[in-house]
Amino acid sequence: MRPAVTSHNPVTEPPIHPADPEQKNRNPVEGVLSVDGSTTLGWKERWQRFPWSLILLLTLTSLLGLVVLYSAAGGHLNHPDNSNIQFIIRQAVRFTVGLALLFVVAIAGSERIYRRYAYLAYGISLALLIAVFLFGSVSMGARRWLDLGFMRLQPSELMKVTLVLALARYYHDRAVVAGFGLRDLALPLLLIMLPVALILKQPDLGTAIIIATVGMAVIVIAGLSWKMITLSLCLLAAGLPVAWNAMHDYQRQRVYTLFFPEHDPLGSGYHIIQSKIAVGSGGFLGKGFLNGSQSHLDFLPERHTDFIFSVLAEEWGFVGCITLMLLYLLITARGLLIAATAQHRFGLLTAVGFIALFSFQVIINIGMVIGLLPVVGIPLPLISYGGSSMITLLFSMGLIAHVAIYAKHYRKTIE
Amino acid sequence: MLDEKPKTFQIDARRRLLVLGGGISLLFSALTSRLFYLQLLKSGTFRDMADDNRISLQLLPASRGRIFDRNGLLLVENHPDYQLVAIPEMATQHLRRSSRERSGLPRLLELLKPLLQLEEKEIQSVLKQASRQRAFMPVTVKTHLTWEEVSLIETRVHELPGVTIEVQPQRHYRMGTLASHAIGYLGEVTEKDQNRFVDIDFRSGDLLGKSGVERAMENQLRGMDGLREIEVNAYGRQVRELRRTPPRPGQDITLTLDMDLQQEAERALAESSGGTGAMVMMRPHSGELLVMASQPAYDPNQFINGFLPDEWRQLTQDPNRPLTNKAIQGQYPPGSTFKMVVVLAALRLGKLHEHDTIYCPGYTTRQDHRFYCWKLRGHGSVSLHQAIAQSCDVFFYELADRVGIDAIHQQALRMGLGTLTGIALDGERAGLIPSRAWKRTTHKAGWYPGETLITAIGQGYVLSTPMQLAVMISAIANGGAVYRPFLVKSAQPPAIPGQKPGPAGITPLWHNHFRPEHIALIHAGLEEVVHGPLGTARTAKLNGVRMAGKTGTSQVARHRRTQSGTLVKTTNRRLMDHAMFVAYAPAHQPEIAISVIVEHGGGGGTNAAPVAKRVMDLYFAKQRGETIATTHSPGANPILPNPDDELAEEPPDDANDNP
Repeated sequence: MRPAVTSHNPVTEPPIHPADPEQKNRNPVEGVLSVDGSTTLGWKERWQRFPWSLILLLTLTSLLGLVVLYSAAGGHLNHPDNSNIQFIIRQAVRFTVGLALLFVVAIAGSERIYRRYAYLAYGISLALLIAVFLFGSVSMGARRWLDLGFMRLQPSELMKVTLVLALARYYHDRAVVAGFGLRDLALPLLLIMLPVALILKQPDLGTAIIIATVGMAVIVIAGLSWKMITLSLCLLAAGLPVAWNAMHDYQRQRVYTLFFPEHDPLGSGYHIIQSKIAVGSGGFLGKGFLNGSQSHLDFLPERHTDFIFSVLAEEWGFVGCITLMLLYLLITARGLLIAATAQHRFGLLTAVGFIALFSFQVIINIGMVIGLLPVVGIPLPLISYGGSSMITLLFSMGLIAHVAIYAKHYRKTIE
Repeated sequence: MLDEKPKTFQIDARRRLLVLGGGISLLFSALTSRLFYLQLLKSGTFRDMADDNRISLQLLPASRGRIFDRNGLLLVENHPDYQLVAIPEMATQHLRRSSRERSGLPRLLELLKPLLQLEEKEIQSVLKQASRQRAFMPVTVKTHLTWEEVSLIETRVHELPGVTIEVQPQRHYRMGTLASHAIGYLGEVTEKDQNRFVDIDFRSGDLLGKSGVERAMENQLRGMDGLREIEVNAYGRQVRELRRTPPRPGQDITLTLDMDLQQEAERALAESSGGTGAMVMMRPHSGELLVMASQPAYDPNQFINGFLPDEWRQLTQDPNRPLTNKAIQGQYPPGSTFKMVVVLAALRLGKLHEHDTIYCPGYTTRQDHRFYCWKLRGHGSVSLHQAIAQSCDVFFYELADRVGIDAIHQQALRMGLGTLTGIALDGERAGLIPSRAWKRTTHKAGWYPGETLITAIGQGYVLSTPMQLAVMISAIANGGAVYRPFLVKSAQPPAIPGQKPGPAGITPLWHNHFRPEHIALIHAGLEEVVHGPLGTARTAKLNGVRMAGKTGTSQVARHRRTQSGTLVKTTNRRLMDHAMFVAYAPAHQPEIAISVIVEHGGGGGTNAAPVAKRVMDLYFAKQRGETIATTHSPGANPILPNPDDELAEEPPDDANDNP
């Protein structure tokens, strides 16, 4: 049977006036917010409640990324015109722009507005995906981009964020306490499957997997019954052979060469083998900055984008890898903590969704670079060279920071 | 207090968040353990693989040692070979007119075509080669450039982007065919060669000596190749040099051969009645070789430049076997030159005394079979002295009966016949001295007395090489010492413990210690051969020096005779007798010993002895300090700097001797 639902729905009840000075005056005690979340904080408070530790971690990771990128780009383009410096400057500018966006989203934004436009944003993303499907530009055998004249838009990146928002909105509105079943699953599944199908068609297996798993993560956290979780895991296991049959040849090839890269050392297995050599030859302390032979002598493919982790692993060794992964783990932990203290379900679910998006990309990217997962073309968050993923990521971190600002201090409220 | 209900969603969600966080941590630790495996447990393996990726080894070939003759005349050198090499990438950068042309190489080859007289076929093969490799890898357009072509390219090099002239050392035999059997030739290494030279670490395609001194002295001539470790990127382009082990050049070698004499010997053989044959000239007191000639010869340069199929077939199928070193590989019945062995055996056993005479009616009969003397009319009553001088066969038939085959066999072995002389050259043949035991084991038959007679005149089963005959006549000249012949100065045979060194400071293999009165008899007979009124080699007297020798005529096919016993002259060259001559001079103080065979030359006295005379005369003329016109040494001192030091110095002078 359907489990109990709270009678009190904190969101859908009264219309909220974000800048209501009355409400603000009603909750003058710092650190404690009204339960209905209709309260806004003063600028100073927002500034004080801002999760600076998260920003520090993000900045440290990005700085480490710039160092690695300097080496990766230097090996690739050792022209005398310092083009590796160009790489660093461009990436640093992106990070700065993304960081500014993060602050705007976190401090000036309002959860209510995000919630209100969640479906609309999702709808626009979906429309863009359909547009890509109909008249996107083809590059390297995939139809992924919309050519807007002044820029090339990749709607699947947009979809990563908007899907999380839409799902969060859906379950926020439902406000299920725990353990919902099949009926509450129909629409969210549709929300997930539509973009996944379109993205698979592009084809972009990596992004499709990321979007599907992140969507599932949001649903699970929102309160899918454990019975359903078990059931869907069984269904997934049964569905794998079906998926295998539906895959493109090149995708199957990737999976195949992942497990047997030696069978085609010069062809499809080349990337994995060279990457594993780079990682393994790094050893404990690495070969030293700018001394990675695998990356500087062009043996490593895609080394400033998807395979940048190999450059880090080669030059900084096990120590460097562990340092970066520790940073990632701390960001994840901080994000989950924010989610746990979120005032509303919407905030909780967006925070969880974005943290899942972040950590899943990390896991898949590192997993493929060290030969545990197929090469599916997922960039390494904050490190890989590339604009759209950096901006999208920092935007999502801005939303998490926003949730943190408005989080309730649980212990204090208990008291 | 706050409302409880909204908190419930958080309590449940927190549990789930914990699960999610746990799941993520689990996956992170999976990644970490994988990194632990790759970077800590397997890092050595992957480091090796990374080095394999980036380090490429380049061979720096060591130059092979040069070869000189005894007078310091340069025989074999490493000659610079000029090759034209083009780098397609550079041609593309400078010659391409539009970006639609993928490569500038065809344009470059069009420019080179008139300069080098390139044929369309060559151009196509260059383009094909270039298409198979990366654009920055050089492609060889033409090898063996002439000096004119090199200078033509050099003056125009600014119009020919990407063109360089590379110099590679190439073995060059300055004397052409002269002494080619002694020097030998080079060829690519085979499995057989690897088993022969187990100490050398060959690479496939390496050149090594296939015969002659080139092979015998491989260990000295061959240097140690150097190695260049270079760092390359993923496309094979060189990034930097990591380490260089310089090559160690091979040692130069000086032969004991004298090219003046060698050339005279080869000419004399070529101009002799048979036109082919072999000669060995040796110092009887050391075994040092002054001449080792074999005709016809070949040009070792051909093995470097490559043969046309026709040329190769001609060389290998020529019935005169130009590739065989007949001095050590040619086995011939020694004929009458063998008779000294029989005499020495008889004297030693006391079966012959100084004044014994034997009557020669022109033949002798054994078991109803007639054994003829070469002189059908017979020599009448002959003494030992006359028998040697006139080479009376019947005398030796008689001696053979007295001493028996086994004594002859033993004596022959003691004089160096029927066994390898031990000269440090590959492929030496041992010849054959028959005995009863030998016949029993190989022919499964008993020894017939008639066979002893045939053996005594150096026919029948007996086979010997010119080198063995030189050793034998040297032993007679020096009183019984058997030396191991050698032809490399620095590689004299090692001292043998328990053996007293000879007058030249070299230890003989063994010493027969012939009794002086016995050897004096032989010496007198041998001198009579040349200087006696009836001596078989009386036409070959030297200018001003007395020579002692023995002629031989070795039968190739059974002689056909008429009813009366007269020889039927054969017109088939292949069936004609070999002319043999062994000698030493001066007769009373031997300095030099010689052994000559003129294949199918006919009688030894008239055909082989004059060949020996020409070389002997030249030797003594040189000893007297007479200047002789030599054609093989261009310029005063032909020793050029080793091409490794100065490669692009002088144009090669190919004008040296091919007589």
